[in-house]
Amino acid sequence: MSSILVKNEAKLGLKLVAPAVGIIGLLVIYPILFNIYLSFFDVQLNGDKTFVGLDNYTDLLGNPRYYHSVGVSIVYLIGTVIGTTVLGLAAAVLMNQEFRFRNLARGLILLPYFAPVISVVFGWQFIFDPVNGIYNHVVVDVLHLTDTRENLIGNPDSALFVVILFDIWKHFPIAYLLLLAKLQSVPKDLYEAAAIDGQNAWGRFWHVTLPELRFVIATVVLLRIIWNLNRFEDVYLLAPNVETLPIFTYYQAFAGIVDQGGAAAISVIQLLVLVGLIWLYVRKVLKW
Amino acid sequence: MMNKRTPLQSVILYSLVLALVIFCVFPFLQILSTSLKHPIDWGNPSLIPRILHLDAYKELLGLMPPKEVDVPASIQRLLDNPALSAEKKQMLLAKFSSGGDVFPFGRYMLNTFVISFITGICSTFLASLAAYAIARLRFPAQSLMANGVLFVYMVGGVLLMVPLYQMSVNVGLASSAGGTILSLFLIYLIQTLPVAMYMLGNYFRTIPFSLEEAAMMDGCSRVEAFWRIIMPLSKPMLFTVFIYCFVIAWNEYLFASVFLKQYQDFQTLPLALQTLFTSKNAIWDRIMAASMLTLLPVVICFMLANRHLSGGLTDGGVKG
Repeated sequence: MSSILVKNEAKLGLKLVAPAVGIIGLLVIYPILFNIYLSFFDVQLNGDKTFVGLDNYTDLLGNPRYYHSVGVSIVYLIGTVIGTTVLGLAAAVLMNQEFRFRNLARGLILLPYFAPVISVVFGWQFIFDPVNGIYNHVVVDVLHLTDTRENLIGNPDSALFVVILFDIWKHFPIAYLLLLAKLQSVPKDLYEAAAIDGQNAWGRFWHVTLPELRFVIATVVLLRIIWNLNRFEDVYLLAPNVETLPIFTYYQAFAGIVDQGGAAAISVIQLLVLVGLIWLYVRKVLKW
Repeated sequence: MMNKRTPLQSVILYSLVLALVIFCVFPFLQILSTSLKHPIDWGNPSLIPRILHLDAYKELLGLMPPKEVDVPASIQRLLDNPALSAEKKQMLLAKFSSGGDVFPFGRYMLNTFVISFITGICSTFLASLAAYAIARLRFPAQSLMANGVLFVYMVGGVLLMVPLYQMSVNVGLASSAGGTILSLFLIYLIQTLPVAMYMLGNYFRTIPFSLEEAAMMDGCSRVEAFWRIIMPLSKPMLFTVFIYCFVIAWNEYLFASVFLKQYQDFQTLPLALQTLFTSKNAIWDRIMAASMLTLLPVVICFMLANRHLSGGLTDGGVKG
């Protein structure tokens, strides 16, 4: 190709990416930097700023509510990552079997993932509603496990577990899709060889399926951590009293005594963690 | 797999499948059932309503007959006075009717639809240009951009909410309704652009280059080849990406709550539903009916796009 053609192609390429990259630069890259800048200021909702140096960071590191929300986030992450991965794997193995109505079942289990958060949270709240909910009906009236009807979502400690269960319900389908795609490409003769070696179903799962899937499982785990670290809507709309880090940040920035500089400082710390995770993802996962 | 299942294994398999499907579908059945139940029936654990109660849907869709206005006799005499203008009569009547209590569901749905639709169109269009360039053309900083897209997508909205809000305050957009909606639209654009670029880029790479080459041999320019060959070939994927962007905007709550709090007329469904739910008690039937109506368009969209979507999703970068 002549050099004029190469130049023209480069020009066209730059022209085509310019709008998208311009918007992303202005509204993602610049805000990330602006956020670091804001974290050194006392920032008001109307835009007034006074420089406070590292005060936002020292305040934050001396704030027990911050450590509490870090703790809640860690429990949330561990619960949801393990839950979605294990259930996703189980669903993938199950849906890889042949049975009648398999296509119907495969479609139905994707529903939670497709549904808008806002339209399912109220259903979940109703399930756990202390007066009308099926949960309290089963636990108190049918199984007689306790005598009193409890408001699981009203109490932040138990609400955390409802939120974890909700996240598993909502997001295991994506883990399932990733794992099923890989599972379908595992060569059949590996299973036949294992069967000839006398492995039962469990042995075949342990010695063939798991080793074949281990990279995809690692990918799923890493992606779940990355997405759930920033997850806001699913937690806040179901149980606003469960203070994971994003929700704590939201309260700092927009509710009660507004402290936007402090919120910026939390975001900066969280961004550093996130950048580390994304770097790991790009280096390890995208190379596979 | 290779050997036939014993009856016991079949039973176990089918019960596991059934358990999983019930786990996934139960909350939806609960929503549907509660939306159709009369308030006296809410405590009934059965999913089947004793009496079918459609009032919640009727009210949300504006099909309820207006309530009989109960006007005191003294006011009625005033109304009968021919000297009073029609406008004044309306104002008087409005004081006695309960019209102000109705949740303007249709309006919120329209707001949400308009902003989601525009976001979807703009995002898909801009992303298709950029994705084509990144997938097919050679230009400086190309690989940086290809990797940057994924990075940008993974930086969640929570990390950007303070600076984006401050930026829109500083520029003066946050002080008017129009500016606020523009800010929100731009934010939805960046929330959808990266994933749209990622999905479309992966798709364009699967189209054989020889097709464009042939078009260019026939005298098309590069741009024409893209417009006449690549875009029509990608229609199903473009549709899928549009749906995906549409749904992201349809679902968005965080920025809507930050920007639209004081502009009630322009609120989107997630924000309006949350406000409705926290401000009033015991309106399960209406909340559930509203949930069903918010849910249906999305589920229908996804069912239409499902075939391509599953493939696009499993490429790994998609939010979930």
